[in-house]
Amino acid sequence: MRRAVAPLLAVTVALVLADSAVVTLALPDILAELDATVGQVAWVLITFNLVLGLGAVPAALVLGRTAPRHLTALGVAVFAGTSAWCALADSIEVLILARCLQAVGGALALVGCLELMVDEYGERRGVATWVTAGVVGTATGPVAGGLLTQAISWQAIFVVQVPFAALAVPAALSVRAGPAPAPDRHRPAVRPNLTLALLSAALTAALFLLVLLLVEGWRRSPATAALTVSVVPLAALAARPFARLFRPSPAVEVAVGSLLVAGGLAGLAIPPSASLAWTVAPQALVGLGLGLTVDRLTAQAMEMRLPRVRHAGWTIAARHVGVVVGLAILTPVFTADLRDAEVPAQEAITALVLDAPLEPQDKIALAEELGAELSGQRGQVPDLHRAFDRLVPTLDPDDRAAAARLERDLDVQLESAATHAFRDSFLIGAGLALLALLTVALPGRRDRSAS
Amino acid sequence: MSRRAWPMPAVALALVAAVLGVQVANGGGTFEPLRPADPCAPRVVTSQADGIDGLTERLVLLGIDGAACELGTSREALTLELAQPGERTDAQVEALRTGLLSAVRRMADDDTLPPASDLVDEALDNADLNGFLEAAIRALPDSVVDAALATDDVLTRAIEDLDLRAVLADLDDQQALERQMEAAITRAVRDSLEARLRDLV
Repeated sequence: MRRAVAPLLAVTVALVLADSAVVTLALPDILAELDATVGQVAWVLITFNLVLGLGAVPAALVLGRTAPRHLTALGVAVFAGTSAWCALADSIEVLILARCLQAVGGALALVGCLELMVDEYGERRGVATWVTAGVVGTATGPVAGGLLTQAISWQAIFVVQVPFAALAVPAALSVRAGPAPAPDRHRPAVRPNLTLALLSAALTAALFLLVLLLVEGWRRSPATAALTVSVVPLAALAARPFARLFRPSPAVEVAVGSLLVAGGLAGLAIPPSASLAWTVAPQALVGLGLGLTVDRLTAQAMEMRLPRVRHAGWTIAARHVGVVVGLAILTPVFTADLRDAEVPAQEAITALVLDAPLEPQDKIALAEELGAELSGQRGQVPDLHRAFDRLVPTLDPDDRAAAARLERDLDVQLESAATHAFRDSFLIGAGLALLALLTVALPGRRDRSAS
Repeated sequence: MSRRAWPMPAVALALVAAVLGVQVANGGGTFEPLRPADPCAPRVVTSQADGIDGLTERLVLLGIDGAACELGTSREALTLELAQPGERTDAQVEALRTGLLSAVRRMADDDTLPPASDLVDEALDNADLNGFLEAAIRALPDSVVDAALATDDVLTRAIEDLDLRAVLADLDDQQALERQMEAAITRAVRDSLEARLRDLV
């Protein structure tokens, strides 16, 4: 049992941070099953990050004044219980409330696990394991969520967390008490936390917008989307070997990582088509950037600063407030752009139907079917397949081939309209990553006084 | 920045430039929905249908182009607007009439209007005529039919006579639409024949 303690705590850290984006691919299913609006369903994502971001520092303050194992165990237990409650939620309001409480438990669990892992592994290894577990959780959350949603259901995302978190409760209680908490000695590290917040906002664009583009815009299944975005965590794994080739300073490493994230997001803004292959290289840049920056910045924000738990709280706050800011900036932009994309998409569809090599009465019948689908799916990228499904059996064999070609052409129009609608949001994400680069590149007070 | 610090940013810049360069070289940034064509520019229209259906389709496609050009909008925007239920403006109705009339002129100029004899049999199939009269018309040689009826004249008269506001209101009602078209074409054929007789006299 003793050997499993630290791994269980690391898994808990990964689970809590994965929860930040784990529901992204499940949002369309949640929206349909709980009869929610797009605005409501976004709060399933926002509330968790907001409460985690705002709760991390107070949780660290409380933990710094008491023996951490009891509060950590309580936090993990609350996280496990509320994860089960999320799975059982039968309305969007209940799910949002459960997500708030899940984040409260998650905040206590995150900062508490850091203290317990240091007690188990020692300072250096404990912090490194905690940081790595966080990066792994952040990067793999959307992938795991998408696969579980496709294979089982959105509820499965929360159910699978329960046994791991439940096992982590006795694990937390079994950790031997470490030395007394250090007194409050250092102020929060502003620059790495600010860079972390900006990069988190930018990475939100990468993970959140990309999965939405794949599922809603390009009509790929959650599993396909999950496998596609797995490029990000895989590329993040390559970041350390890549950095070792050059042995850069931490500042250069973070600057390069920010540049790669910005470049990757710019690449995602301009795919030449809706082929998944065009997302691979930009995602690899984002993943490489993620691997170079997040753990380095987290370590910088905590390095040589006491009490450790308080500064860990600040890094969590910076990351999740960054995510919320990213969502707050990007959500209205891409929803407005998606709305604006309706007219050009409808006009492109109209042009193709008018010029289609079909008999006039077939065109009229198709136009009526398409009109019904388009008006029935306002606010979403429409699925035109049903219109063709109803029409094609009534056509001559020769006309069926023409109808199939037309359906493909119309899908391309919808995909291009959706891709175009996401462009500005990806570019704003790239801008946030460049701002993060600026915070690294601009000389600090010490640099200025030295020169 | 020290000399040792440069290789990594340089490699990163090269990677970003390569990815963006490949995306742009393959059309990245231009993956957008089709833009509507200029309705005032001549467009080649075809139809998969023969006879009256094919002629009607080509006429309507060119007519909407002309109407959109007149209204300063796109063919697609006008089509979507006309497909919505509601009252049509005078400007829309007049633009559509102007567009259809110019479509007839253009097809006549291009020599793409079929002679009347090509359409007579199909028209008679759909018309509710006395059997004796129908047989008599069918017996007429093509040259006589074409000499008596010019397709562009019949179409022009039908378009001028047609209550386009009522036609647009009945777009969803196929039977009502056919009734109005048949009445307008019948009147146009009669008027065209009368005019021809007057010219002969």
